[in-house]
Amino acid sequence: MAGFAKTGGDMSGVNLQGLVKAYGAVQVVHGIDLDVQEKEFVVLVGPSGCGKSTTLRMIAGLEEISDGDLTIDGRHVNRVAPKDRDVAMVFQNYALYPHLNVAENIAFGLRIRKTPKDDIAQQVQEVGGILGLTDYLERRPADLSGGQRQRVAMGRAIVRRPKVFLFDEPLSNLDAKLRTQMRAEIKRLHKRLGVTSIYVTHDQVEAMTLADRIVVMHDGRIEQIGTPMELFLNPANTFVAGFLGAPPMNMITAQIVAGDQGPVAEFGGQRIVLQPLPSLQNAVGKTVTVGIRPEFAKAVDDSQPDRVSIEVDLIETLGSEALVHATLQGAPFVIRTDTVGQMEALGRIGGFTVDAHLVKVFDGETGLALPGQVLNQ
Amino acid sequence: MRRLSLSIAMLATTAMTAPVQAQDYPIVDAPLELSIHMHWPRAQGYGVGGDTSKIYPVEEAARAATNIHLIDETFGKNTKDSGEAMNLLIASGNMPDIVGGHLIKQPVNEFGPQGAFQPLNDLVDEHAPNIKKFWEDNPGLKEAIAAYDGNYYYIPYLPDGKYGRAYFIRQDWLDALGLEQPDTVDELYEVLTAFRNNDPNGNGMKDEVPFFARNWEEAIRLVTLWDARSSGSDTFHDFYVKDGAVVHPYAEDAYRDALANVAQWYEEGLIDPEVFTRGSSAREYLLSENLGGMTHDWFASTSGYNVALEGKVEGFNFIPFLPPASPSGRRLEEHRRIPIKPDGWAISHTNENPVETIKYMDFWFSEQGSLLANFGIEGEQYEIVDGEPVYKDSVLASGDPVNAQMWAVGSQIQRGYPQDYRYEWQWTRDSARRGIELYDQYDLLVDQFLGVAFTKDEQAIYDRHWPSIRTYMLERQQAWVLGSGDIKADWDDYVETLNDMGLQDVLEVMNAAYKRQYG
Amino acid sequence: MTGLPDTPSAAGSGRKAREVRKPGRLQRITEHLRREWQIYAMLLPTVLWMVIFLYKPMYGLQIAFKDYSVFRGIANSPWIGLEHFETLFNNDQFLRALKNTIIMSAYGLLFGFPVPILLALMFNEVLSQTFKKSAQTIVYLPHFISSVIIAGIVMTAFSPSAGIVNTALGWFGLEPVYFLTKPEWFRPIFIGTGIWQEAGFQSIVYLAAIAGVSPTLYESAVVDGASRWQMMWKITIPSILPTIIIMLIIRIGNILEISFEMVILLYQPATYETADVVNTFIYRQGLQGGQYDFAAAAGLFNAVVAFVLVMTANTISKRYSRTSLW
Repeated sequence: MAGFAKTGGDMSGVNLQGLVKAYGAVQVVHGIDLDVQEKEFVVLVGPSGCGKSTTLRMIAGLEEISDGDLTIDGRHVNRVAPKDRDVAMVFQNYALYPHLNVAENIAFGLRIRKTPKDDIAQQVQEVGGILGLTDYLERRPADLSGGQRQRVAMGRAIVRRPKVFLFDEPLSNLDAKLRTQMRAEIKRLHKRLGVTSIYVTHDQVEAMTLADRIVVMHDGRIEQIGTPMELFLNPANTFVAGFLGAPPMNMITAQIVAGDQGPVAEFGGQRIVLQPLPSLQNAVGKTVTVGIRPEFAKAVDDSQPDRVSIEVDLIETLGSEALVHATLQGAPFVIRTDTVGQMEALGRIGGFTVDAHLVKVFDGETGLALPGQVLNQ
Repeated sequence: MRRLSLSIAMLATTAMTAPVQAQDYPIVDAPLELSIHMHWPRAQGYGVGGDTSKIYPVEEAARAATNIHLIDETFGKNTKDSGEAMNLLIASGNMPDIVGGHLIKQPVNEFGPQGAFQPLNDLVDEHAPNIKKFWEDNPGLKEAIAAYDGNYYYIPYLPDGKYGRAYFIRQDWLDALGLEQPDTVDELYEVLTAFRNNDPNGNGMKDEVPFFARNWEEAIRLVTLWDARSSGSDTFHDFYVKDGAVVHPYAEDAYRDALANVAQWYEEGLIDPEVFTRGSSAREYLLSENLGGMTHDWFASTSGYNVALEGKVEGFNFIPFLPPASPSGRRLEEHRRIPIKPDGWAISHTNENPVETIKYMDFWFSEQGSLLANFGIEGEQYEIVDGEPVYKDSVLASGDPVNAQMWAVGSQIQRGYPQDYRYEWQWTRDSARRGIELYDQYDLLVDQFLGVAFTKDEQAIYDRHWPSIRTYMLERQQAWVLGSGDIKADWDDYVETLNDMGLQDVLEVMNAAYKRQYG
Repeated sequence: MTGLPDTPSAAGSGRKAREVRKPGRLQRITEHLRREWQIYAMLLPTVLWMVIFLYKPMYGLQIAFKDYSVFRGIANSPWIGLEHFETLFNNDQFLRALKNTIIMSAYGLLFGFPVPILLALMFNEVLSQTFKKSAQTIVYLPHFISSVIIAGIVMTAFSPSAGIVNTALGWFGLEPVYFLTKPEWFRPIFIGTGIWQEAGFQSIVYLAAIAGVSPTLYESAVVDGASRWQMMWKITIPSILPTIIIMLIIRIGNILEISFEMVILLYQPATYETADVVNTFIYRQGLQGGQYDFAAAAGLFNAVVAFVLVMTANTISKRYSRTSLW
């Protein structure tokens, strides 16, 4: 997957340098640095109000850039009108013209640019074909389903053959099933067209599934940039750790103490063995946050001696796997576990074990991951 | 005071007739309450300013005198439109004993014969000696209020005084140009031409408006200077009685020739070119801007400008002058005060005490009642001096108009009563009094056409034709004055069209009703 | 239930079933009312208002066919059939007034209808909020001035001696015209006055419609490269087209409702030829004394014509633009 980010180089893609958005005295985006490679699919993700949409709109030219530099395809475009930036945007609520039919909606951008009629017709047909809209070209948006409307919205973007696609939460108006389906379609489309794409969403699942690289944003700042797996396995801080992954990473406040074979996290009389890394050893005596992904904790029964004891509240079975909702130190603790052949064992869960290298330790004050803990895929 | 008593003597035609005091008061021994609807422009209800919780002092005095108490039961207090209030009242089917106020003649005469009101002829004859005497002293009035069935159904408010409007001219302009007051229509033409050409206001501009009027109908009334007529009553464009028959002035040959002259004057700029749209502010504007030379308007209000504009327009002197004589030598003041109003009060069919009620109505025609109805309370608003009611200084010198003061105590309101001109004369300005005296030296007035009461069939014919005919007459009239079309050339077609539209049918029902009513 | 109560076999069982269900339905309705009574309570004032002020007066319409006397009341006044209508149509002045009404309405529609739309589009393009606010206030203002004052302003403006119009004509060396007595000038003046008085206020509806257009439509168009002019033509106008059509249908329904006071205030016998409309005609007819029945006949005729026009306009609109009042 990461193979997409192969070409590199400053002359293509989208480059953001110290991008700032301020409304009067209030700064909402505090200087974003981001280099999107040509053909790369980058997803900006973060909770609402984190500045991701504003950043996207600055790239599109719908918001003025207060400070910093934006280059698209090597061209400095801070002051360039949206239409001359050679970008196309797909909006959350589709932005379809209700008085135009599908073909006309797709053709809108081309007609504005005075493309010859025959070309328009041909391209609309082509795009309609790509998106499976051929049978609906004569319909009005009001007569389409949500998924179809979304496709038309993408068709409008595709038909212009821009250098960059910008997606502003394009799937958030769809129901869960359609969203999954459309997600796959977008992914496929990107593979086929290979156009640089910047995609904004608040949904970490979309981010994880779509992105070549994910940019996690929070309060107008970038928290971390990386491939989905990098971010999943090696979150730079508790925010990223808590934001990516479903269910999110379990967090336990603990004290690092020196154990027999190295550092141990201790809390409420229980212990978790940590990796013998220098950074952890140096942290003995400090308060830290210990992060354990639900997927990495292994549920065990009372007989396991080196387990961490938990109190199971509820077990949600999801078919092939189950979520064990438990309480640890008064906080919820979730374990994802397999079900096949283990249904009987589920009833006897009394704790969990975890491999030391799968435990993430964050600084108790700054929330930053202590250095050196790299988990390879 | 000398002038006052002289004038009173002079005016002692109608109101000064000594009422017969044949009635015994109080009318009833035990107090009798009668409910009343009294809706008129100044008060929507029988109480001070329409506030029925405030009983008029005059009503208190009348109660003391007659033992009859009027209790307010006015409908439509939330509308100022008395006609609408009357409709509400009648449609409610719940009528108070007495129905009075503004513009009651038409509904009373329409619904009286249908049974909504009691005919008053016999009641008055038998129980109302003062009213009866008033009818005898003023022939023709009783007939004028009759409904088509020959009965009359209301006791009207009977205004006093003869003169309404008069011709006014800028005497200082005449003096400036060295001209005499015009005595004939030809002289008037010369004067107005001089006003137009010779810059009487001395501002170096030819901006004078020789003749102007607040109502454009007054420009049409100039036809009376050539022996034609414009109306037979104080309503514009009304029928008039000529040699015992009702005719319409705008269908008479005299009108053709006279209106041609008016059109000529208009074309020459002797009549305000904007007379049709200048509207009610014309007089105020043209006089205060020192632009207007002559008009035909109300004595009282127009004579006020000499005071109002004193010092503002240098030498301003706008005074009444006699109607100029027509080529045949006749001086005519067509407008006069109507002696009988469509206002007053009636006895509804639900009234169980018609005799007491008519006696009560008669009270207001007695000397005591008439004084109450006209002047307020003796000792409060007026004193009797040498047998004459004279307003106290506190009334005359008060900043408020005398009529408003009277309305506040319950006098001069629109009940059925004979108005006494001595009331108005006492607060009429000297300049207006002089004008009235001037006019009174001549026989300038003509009899008024007081209207007729139609039967249902007559009314139907009248309603079908007359509004359209009237519209057509006015359209043509303005067109001729404005110069589109020549009245003399168009006249035969015009008359033919009027007849096609049914003018003869209208005149026929008019005359039938007139004969029936006035004999 | 089979859902086929028309088939003979199903009819019997269907009816039976319905009888069985009946108390249930009643119960459901009561239950529904009990649960949602607040909503119905909120609806009630409007329903009452409609019944009292719109439906109840319809009872009075019958006086158009009666020889109506206020004293006798509606029920006791005798029927005379279509006599009032005959009188109406045998009157040349009524026919002239009808013609004038239609002509003036048509002109009013032709010239008056687009102006508020244009105004709204113009306001929408204004960027300076201060300028927009003050301009809107200025054009709304005449709406709040009474007709009497408006008429006074018009009369003054068109006065031959002091009016601004004739003064302006004077600058070009033209003779003053006594506009208000010229039949050929009445309609332009009347319609112009109406536009001046109402266009600003009417533009509010369109401004509201424009405000309702999703901003992303414009953003999307901006990214697509549309100019402001293109956005107005390709987005704003098509988006408010349904509003425009609805307003047009309503306007057509009121086609015979010429502003009666304004005509009364501005017309002269000299201009009756072009100025007299049905309502002023009725007004003058009625002057002679409470001819309510006759006026009701003319009013009913007005309403019937308006109804037919609205139905027609609505049907046409429904068929061709998929927008309609109902």
